[in-house]
Amino acid sequence: MERFTLKKLIHMISQREISSAELVSMYFERIKKYDHFLNSFITLNQESAEEQSLIADKKIHAGNYDLLTGIPYASKDIFCTKGIKTTCASKMLENFIPPYDSTVINQIKNSGAILVGKTNMDEFAMGSSNETSYFGPAYNPWDLERSPGGSSGGSAAAVASGIIPIALGTDTGGSIRQPAAFTGITGLKPTYGRCSRYGMVAFASSLDQAGLLALTAEDIAIFLEVMSGFDPLDSTSVEEAVPQYSDSVHDSIEGKTIGLPKEFFNNSLDAESQRILNQGIDIYEKLGAKIIEISLPNVGYSVPTYYVVASAECSSNLARYDGIRYGYRDDDIKDLDDLYRTNRQIGFGDEVKRRIMTGTYVLSAGYYDAYYLKAQKVRQLISNDFAEAFKEVDLIIGPTTQSPAFSIGEKIDDPVSMYMNDVYTISSNLAGLPALSHPVGFIDKLPIGMQLIAPHFQESRLLNFCHLFQQETNFHLQQPQAFFDN
Amino acid sequence: MTVKKSDINHICDLSKLRIDENEISIFTKQISEILNMINELEEADTNNIKPMAHPMNMSQRLRKDEAILNNDRDLFQENAIDSEDGFYKVPKVID
Repeated sequence: MERFTLKKLIHMISQREISSAELVSMYFERIKKYDHFLNSFITLNQESAEEQSLIADKKIHAGNYDLLTGIPYASKDIFCTKGIKTTCASKMLENFIPPYDSTVINQIKNSGAILVGKTNMDEFAMGSSNETSYFGPAYNPWDLERSPGGSSGGSAAAVASGIIPIALGTDTGGSIRQPAAFTGITGLKPTYGRCSRYGMVAFASSLDQAGLLALTAEDIAIFLEVMSGFDPLDSTSVEEAVPQYSDSVHDSIEGKTIGLPKEFFNNSLDAESQRILNQGIDIYEKLGAKIIEISLPNVGYSVPTYYVVASAECSSNLARYDGIRYGYRDDDIKDLDDLYRTNRQIGFGDEVKRRIMTGTYVLSAGYYDAYYLKAQKVRQLISNDFAEAFKEVDLIIGPTTQSPAFSIGEKIDDPVSMYMNDVYTISSNLAGLPALSHPVGFIDKLPIGMQLIAPHFQESRLLNFCHLFQQETNFHLQQPQAFFDN
Repeated sequence: MTVKKSDINHICDLSKLRIDENEISIFTKQISEILNMINELEEADTNNIKPMAHPMNMSQRLRKDEAILNNDRDLFQENAIDSEDGFYKVPKVID
């Protein structure tokens, strides 16, 4: 069998080739059959999803339905879902049942799509391998000994293996694009402020952004239309009209200019990845784009800048977890200080502790100017570099990762080496830019991703370029065959 | 820059964390390595550059000063381990 794109499922529903109930049950069967290999879900929403599919079928039968009515999807377990556990893959929130839906979940609910379950992730989205999850790592369907990437590793593994057609992720430093690259699928991080952060558990508030992992740019375009837009409940949401992304994907890119930052094509990229990327760039050239070399002189400071800003914001955001109003509570305590410390010691994993400690250090008396203020200035330099580049080019292309998926256990004990994974993705978060990763080839049967970066609110341009690329190539159609035996 | 075990203890005091005695040396080593990586920032020339607070240079948006009901205490307290009469209960911490 083949994986179904969202577009195909929408067609099948509209042609009455399949009912929503059949579709939902087909995906639950696949989850049951394959997810014990992948560990991509933390919580399933089966009973409610089946009920909703029956309601959807009535609407479809009556001809009173919307584009996404009855279509199953999954959400990273970082989006609050009313009445459904939202753990953030942490012991701290193991039993947390949100009393409300996040705005994005609510928008998708209103579109008629059906939530099948909540996917695995790095704890509080802190990690690049899905190994920091309290519920154990998710596994890469292309090679079960390898990481699917992180932090949206569960969403990526589930989409790549066809146990869900599309999934929500979040991207603070590469957490959608790197897993998409490692699992051979397409992932979009929209512009900062494009999708509401309300009800999305906060990690680094000036960087966090909701986005999507799917099989094609077209599928992302369809879903992005329903989950974008201004939200008064998110004070950093931006009032900017939502275009019809699925209309503009077909536009010609003839005469558009693509910039290749020389800083992205240096020695840190392995030779085989370089060769594959060059082939991908050739395809864009064939589609009519003009390719020029550009420079982003300060982009080399992205990783250290990020680990100051993100850790500082993390230490501040995670101060709320005291175990009193919600979250893990240990009752074997001596005094108030012991209550806080015990709950946080047991409730948080090591990577979360490291980030809180780093963030607390850079914000502490005597270090604020040297670290936090300095990093905010360098962040401005990096942002200025992009602004300059976009005066000359329509789009920037680079690698998504330095290499294909690494093995589970390979980097987990060496935080700095793990952090360097995000060397190509972090800069667009710092500058708030939309960016996308799409499959561009394989090394030793492992997928490789190519990253596209656009100016603020130009998601339509990313999806347009990517869609035309996917019309010309079949990398995005390759699937991990072990999950499609019959 | 190398952090010492005493620095780690100080950070834990500030952030209300606790690290087991046998783990302090590994955290000390890892945080030192992270700070060494961060110290690359010293090389960047940031003279006359203003710190960036928001990716879109936006300032804080304020909502209209109108009363709205969005604080449903009973609903929110369903997630509390222990609550009574609208109060959160904690183990006795004062003798």
